[in-house]
This record gives sequence, C-alpha cells and structure tokens, in this order.
Amino acid sequence: MTQLDPQVLDDVLKLIDELSGDWEFEGEITPETRFLGDLGLESLDLVVLGTMIQHRYGQLPFAEYYAEVGQRPVAERDVSVADLVSFIARNRTLSEERA
Amino acid sequence: MPKTLLIGLDGATFTVLDPLVERGVMPFLGSLLDRGVRAPLRSVVPPLTPPAWTSLMTGKRPGEHGVFDFFQKESPDSEYFQFASSRDVGTSTIWSLAGEQGKRVISLNFPLMFPPPAVNGYVVPGGWVPWRQLRLGCHPAGLFDRLKALPSFEPRELALDMKLEAKAIEGCDAEEYADWIRLHTRREERWFDIVRHLLDEDDSVDLVGVMFDGPDKLQHLCWRFIDPETRPAAPNEWEREIIALCDDYFRRLDEIIAALVELAGPDPTVVLASDHGFGPSWDVFYVNAWLEQHGYLAWADDGEREALESTQVGFSRMTRHVFELDWRRTVAYAATPSSQGIHIVRQRDGDDAPMSDEAYERLVTEIAAGLLEVRSPRTGRALVNEVHLRATTFAGPYEQLAPDVSLALADGAALSILRSDTLVKTRAEANGNHRPEGIFAAAGPALRSGETLPEISIVDVAPLLLYSLDVPVPLDMSGRLPEAAFRPGELERRPPQYVAGALPEEQPAVAEPEVVFDSDDEALILNRLRALGYVE
Repeated sequence: MTQLDPQVLDDVLKLIDELSGDWEFEGEITPETRFLGDLGLESLDLVVLGTMIQHRYGQLPFAEYYAEVGQRPVAERDVSVADLVSFIARNRTLSEERA
Repeated sequence: MPKTLLIGLDGATFTVLDPLVERGVMPFLGSLLDRGVRAPLRSVVPPLTPPAWTSLMTGKRPGEHGVFDFFQKESPDSEYFQFASSRDVGTSTIWSLAGEQGKRVISLNFPLMFPPPAVNGYVVPGGWVPWRQLRLGCHPAGLFDRLKALPSFEPRELALDMKLEAKAIEGCDAEEYADWIRLHTRREERWFDIVRHLLDEDDSVDLVGVMFDGPDKLQHLCWRFIDPETRPAAPNEWEREIIALCDDYFRRLDEIIAALVELAGPDPTVVLASDHGFGPSWDVFYVNAWLEQHGYLAWADDGEREALESTQVGFSRMTRHVFELDWRRTVAYAATPSSQGIHIVRQRDGDDAPMSDEAYERLVTEIAAGLLEVRSPRTGRALVNEVHLRATTFAGPYEQLAPDVSLALADGAALSILRSDTLVKTRAEANGNHRPEGIFAAAGPALRSGETLPEISIVDVAPLLLYSLDVPVPLDMSGRLPEAAFRPGELERRPPQYVAGALPEEQPAVAEPEVVFDSDDEALILNRLRALGYVE
C-alpha cells in the first residue's frame, strides 16, 4: 500500500471515530475500513462528510472523485479510509502547487 | 420569551389547510387565521425547497442569494454539480441579521443551514443532512450532546434517512404508507421538543424559527388521500386507514403549532409560511429525451438504459449526466429533475472557441419556443406554461450558476432527466407536486385581524420578520415590508428602519464544527467550503 500521509490519516480517523459513536458502530476503524460496505454509510453520507473535510483542507475535487466512483462496477463502488486519505493528500498537494 | 415565531410548513397550501380547518382537524390554525392576516405566498423559480426557503430567509431571489436547487453547479462552465450547502448562500439571512443586532435566534430544520452558520443562538439544520452527521450540523458546540439527553431526541428520525426519503418522491408499497405518515408525526413532535427544551434553558431568545416538512412529504406521497378534490369517494379499508392517518398528522401538527404559540408567551408575532404550494401531478416530461429528439443532446453510446420504462423521478440519477451524455454532441441538458432547468454548453469538447453571444441567444430562444409547443397527451393542452430565461429570471451576482432555461410545467407535471422513447408519460394515479402558490399567515399585536391580503412574495417575509424584531431591513433586499398586513397607524407609530445592504458575502461565517480536526492550520478553514458531488 502507498504510504499514507500520517497527519491526514489521523485527522480522518479522528473524525470517523467521533461520528461513529452516534452510529453505534463498535468495530475498529482502520485504513482498510470501507465507508459503505463496513460502516454502512449511504452515498449522501460520503458527500456530506466531504463537506466537512473541505472545511479543514479547502476545496477539493470531490464531485469528480465521487462521480468516478459512481461509474465503477457496483461491487467496486466504495471508498476506504485509505482511499479517502490518499485523495485528500494527493489533491491538497496539487492545490498547493497550483497556488 | 421570543418576540417572533416563524413556523415553516414545507409545501403547505390553503387548498389543503382550509378544508382541514373547516372539518375541525386544525382548530388552532383556524383561530390563528381568524385573528391574523393571510395571503397567498408567491414562491420563486423554481418553487423548490432549497431556493425558496433561502429566499424566505434572505429576502432575495435565487440569482441574488445563489441557491437554485439541491445541487449547485461547480462553476459556470462546469458540468459537475455539488451538494448545496450553507456556504452557497451568498448573502445575509434573517438569522445573521438578527444576530448582528444582538438578537438571539433558534433555527431548526431549515435547509441550507449545514455546515451551521455561526449565528447568535442555536442551529439544528434541515434539508439533506444525513442523520449520521447531524452532530456536525448542530451549533453551538456541545448542542448535539445536550439534545441527546432528551428522551425524544432521535437523529435517525429528525434528520435525513435517504432510504426513507426516496419514498416521498419515488413512491412505496401500500403497506409502507402508514409507517411513513407516523414517522412524520413523530418527527414534528421531536422538533417541538427541541424548541421547548431550548426555550426552557434559554429565556433570552428573540426569534424562534422551526420548519415542519411533513406537509411536503405527505403530500408528495399521499396527495390523493389529502386533497378533498381527489379523495376516493368510496374508500376501501386501507384507503380509510391512510386518510385517517393523514388527518391525524395534521391534527397533531395543529396541536404542536398551538403549543409553540403558547410557549412564545403573550403577544408574540407569529408567522406561518410555506416555501411553495402543492397540487396534483399526473404527467412526467422527459426533458432530456426532448432535447435529444430536437438535436440538442446526445447520449453516450454506452449509457445505461435500464430505466427506460420508469416514470419515477429518482434521487439516484441526479448527476449521471456527466457520463451518460456525449459532450461532443450536446449543447443543452438538464442535470437534475428538481431544478426544472436546462443548461447550455457554451464550449463543447473539441470546439476551438466558446459559443458566441448571438448564437447563445438564438439557441435559448429556439429551445424556449420549442418547449412551449410541447403538449400533454392527457389534456391536449400545453405542458410547459412558462419558460424563464436566465438573464431576466436570475439576474444577480449568482446568475452565471443558474440554468439557462427554466420551465414552469402545467398542472404540476414532473420533470425527468432519464432516457425515454416517450416524451410525456402519465401516471396511473395522481401524486402531489409543487405549485408556486404557497401560504402566508401572521398574527400579532401590530397586525390586522381576520383579513385576507392580495398575494405577496416569499421574499417579503424576511422584512416582516426583521421589522417585528426591531431589526433594520437591508435596502438591497428584493422583499418589501407587506404594509397592508399592519394595523392602521402601526407603521407610523413605529417606522421601519432601513440600512444599506451588505455586499454579497463570498464566504459567510460558518460555525466551527463540533467535531474538529486537531491540526492547527486554521487558515485553510477560510477556504470556500463546497459540498460534493453525488454518487449512487
């Protein structure tokens, strides 16, 4: 697996840990945890979660990312914590380079 | 004790409420109408929850506040749409204007309040906030956990459960109707409990706003059981049960409204308003199919076709257009059914230059004229009542994000963006759909009694609320104080105050999320917060 940005990973895990208490999810959340398949989220949850992530990291191309995920075969339409962290780190870097 | 109480009734219409009053189902509403003023309330284009409530909260039209749909175009030339959020509201709201004058507010269940704006008071947002993330929408910090202590606090029922919400639009099995109606009765009770709790804890609140969305949800699904005109003449046992449950919902809503007014203490100004009205709907117009038929749109060859025969207007296809269309051969498309709008592609893939202004004008004029020719096979009459062009309907700082051509469909017809070989299909049974004429009613010490006013605009509600709070009305509001609503001499005795309007807020202040990241890079929080795209 590609090395994940430790700060972004820590941020995302903290956010999910805190929220998952309201969902009565008691399992361990790891980089491999999938939002839809494991945590039982719906697609709109991911969209709104992205809203709060952008609160922290600024504008990120989530619309394009989720649209791409939505075009995958049904069995692959999911996002893991690691996927999300990679997406944030990759695009945050690109945004900073453009700036 | 709050001075002003705003009770939002999503989708409420006098054609439903008046008969309920007459039958004794809503006696308190009847008494409120008797001792106050009422008027038809003209919604905006399109008459849809996000732009309409935002217009009520800002006193401005969509081109002036920036919200046109549940989804927002990412940029004027982008084919991507994002989830509309509070950061898309580009101007002051009644909540922020009241707060700036030191007034404290409670705002419950209004859309476009997520992430929660940093108001002087309390926010629990409505709209499309999933229940799993309601914590993030509560303001101030700690409010969610305080509310969790309430026995009736249940995020799953207060906020959005997408699987349940789809039923309101897409329909559900007969055996699910009863649970759906009961859910909304419970939901309104839960919102009331939050108001009661907050007012118990804080006696300094000046403005209480709470929106009940059950009327909209029930009317979408159960219109034929609610509308006296379409109720079955000889209902079977199941139909009798559904009719009784709908009556029970409105009876309980009436009790809740009565209790809210009582909580507000002596002589509050009470304003009831809806974002749009409601009526029956039979036809479904396949607008992208029409655009394809007329050579404005081309589907990608590998697009999915499994919903060819469906008349459902579903959530799940809202942004599939990005991949379903052949962008080299598409100049016009509808991205969502709810926006009732068509976007023009001014520069297609492979084009050397964008479409000229002249060509654009020709195109939108041609499309508008063609749409006005579409007929309903059911009635033989025009299906498109009016066509609105962006430059006139959405003039304002956010005009470029609006649809280029917007449709007002006859008889509440629904719009579909799906592929179809048939341009207009007719449902076997009428369901409910939005109408531009909503409701306004108000009662209070400064207001006339028992009067029916001519139609007012939804943007006129904000000035009235601000006036009732002694808050100056910004002059750049499109809305005007509905002076005819006031007792003679009242406005002379206490003249309204006006102030210069603020420039559009590029980045309205948003409350810090209750769940915060622990990093220290606060500057990034100031970046424009955009909601995201949609994935099935």
